[in-house]
Amino acid sequence: MRRKILTGVLVAGAAVAAAGWVLTAPRPLSSAALAALPDGDPQRGEVVFHAGGCASCHAAPGAKGEDKLKLAGGLKLATPFGTFVAPNISSDPNDGIGGWSKADFANAMLAGVSPDGAHYYPAFPYTSYARMTPGDVMDLQAYMQQLPAVAGKAPAHDLGFPFNIRRGLGLWKLANLDPAPMVTVAAGDAVLERGRYLVEGPGHCGECHTPRDAIGGLDRSRWLAGAAAPTGEGRIPNITGGEGGIGSWSAADIAYYLETGFTPDFDSVGGEMVAVQENMAKLPASDREAIAAYLKAVPALADGR
Amino acid sequence: MKKFVLAAAAVLFVMPAVQAADDPVATRKAIMQSVAASAGLSGGMMKGEIAYSPAAGKAAIASLNAAALSFGAFFPAGSEAAPGTTASPKIWEDSAGFAAALAKFSAATGAAAQASGKDGPADVDALKAAVGPILASCKSCHEVYRVQK
Ligand code: HEC
Ligand code: HEC
Ligand code: HEC
Repeated sequence: MRRKILTGVLVAGAAVAAAGWVLTAPRPLSSAALAALPDGDPQRGEVVFHAGGCASCHAAPGAKGEDKLKLAGGLKLATPFGTFVAPNISSDPNDGIGGWSKADFANAMLAGVSPDGAHYYPAFPYTSYARMTPGDVMDLQAYMQQLPAVAGKAPAHDLGFPFNIRRGLGLWKLANLDPAPMVTVAAGDAVLERGRYLVEGPGHCGECHTPRDAIGGLDRSRWLAGAAAPTGEGRIPNITGGEGGIGSWSAADIAYYLETGFTPDFDSVGGEMVAVQENMAKLPASDREAIAAYLKAVPALADGR
Repeated sequence: MKKFVLAAAAVLFVMPAVQAADDPVATRKAIMQSVAASAGLSGGMMKGEIAYSPAAGKAAIASLNAAALSFGAFFPAGSEAAPGTTASPKIWEDSAGFAAALAKFSAATGAAAQASGKDGPADVDALKAAVGPILASCKSCHEVYRVQK
């Protein structure tokens, strides 16, 4: 009897482990999706690069001007799970990603899977980037291919057990990697759809402005309602129209803030939003207006901080 | 026009020196509010929302300059933890860097005060040339030395 139970437990344990192993397996894009990847246009990719804010993490900390195009990595992101270090994604073929195929890059951006088939940590905000169009991703790769090659690997992440086991991310991704839109907008409203794309996709605004649960997933019921800063100190404001948010800002006020960094009462942007704002200033005015229209349309929530 | 009068009035109430000695946090916040009011007045004139007048330009610049020269005196040790402040602890951890940010701010306001002369910047273009660098210095300081709480 004891033995039977034991065997039962062992079999059940093995089944759970096997199921876990299957569930945690990295899922790259389908071969059909990969075969359909278009050729990228580096000129179009420049806007995607700014919208995506890649330099905020992958350029040297504090870099300004031309140095923001040297993507050698090295920025440390201190989180409750340990310290992540942004890797070198310059066009250097050995230390960066200059030697990557289109499929390698698309899998990283859209599926969070590395060329050797491992999961990426969501400190790389692919949970948002997964909403990008394959066309934008390919344009971005073509643009980045033209940026300077910088030699040198960034240091490894400093993570404790169990977070240092990439395989474990599989379950996290099952729960949190969902490229479906966060907010329903009027079908056929091109301005709102563009705004939603920029905010929920490349702009990854929700990664800072939305609170997280205990395992670091975004709390989808409090989209953009403000949060504790994911790295470092401070709070990130509510950018919905709810209490403690920016309901009193007009769409023009939001667009002006993204262009110049000044709030309606002429406070000046600060903290990590400075880099985001400076990127938004490089987009066409119509894109800033689209973001503003979308922020006016998202459900108004009370401050989530 | 009403907007102009309001903004100009705000500029005139530059620094309520009342609580300076006993409440450094309230003082430095009041200084920054006067900075924002002057920036708003300048910005409004640059955008054409407020009719330009050289005297208003001069008032904005003078108030920015006074603010830049006095702001740094209200950061005594310990005031980073005061309720309601958005000053970052980095001001005290990296005091040399904060001093450099203040110096950049007062260099820009000093140059603008110089350029605005006795009668104030002659036209909107002169205002833009004088105030542009001041407005550009806000976010480089706020990026590092200010944090929303
Ligand atoms: C919030 C910070 C952050 C931003 C913004 C960011 N990344 Fe990253 N990125 C990371 C981190 C951290 C990693 C390491 C992930 C890991 O090791 O699992 C990473 C990894 C990568 C990798 C994999 C590199 C390798 O050697 O395997 C690529 C490619 C990449 N990022 C591209 C981009 C692009 C393109 C953008 C802009 C669209 C971007 N990243 C924006 C933080 C960021
Ligand atoms: C890296 C984190 C981060 C990302 C990404 C980010 N923000 Fe922010 N955002 C902040 C912080 C921090 C502030 C507070 C700025 C300050 O201290 O002045 C802020 C402030 C704002 C404000 C002003 C709110 C207020 O009450 O003053 C708006 C509007 C805003 N963000 C919109 C956006 C949009 C749109 C995006 C995406 C394109 C975005 N943010 C992406 C961190 C971020
Ligand atoms: C040398 C650094 C520095 C510069 C330059 C600077 N600020 Fe500030 N600012 C601060 C700090 C620090 C605070 C936080 C003060 C506090 O809460 O104790 C602040 C706070 C503010 C506030 C909020 C005041 C309040 O009531 O809480 C406004 C508005 C503001 N700044 C506007 C501006 C504008 C506009 C400019 C440019 C014309 C500017 N600042 C330039 C450092 C600076």
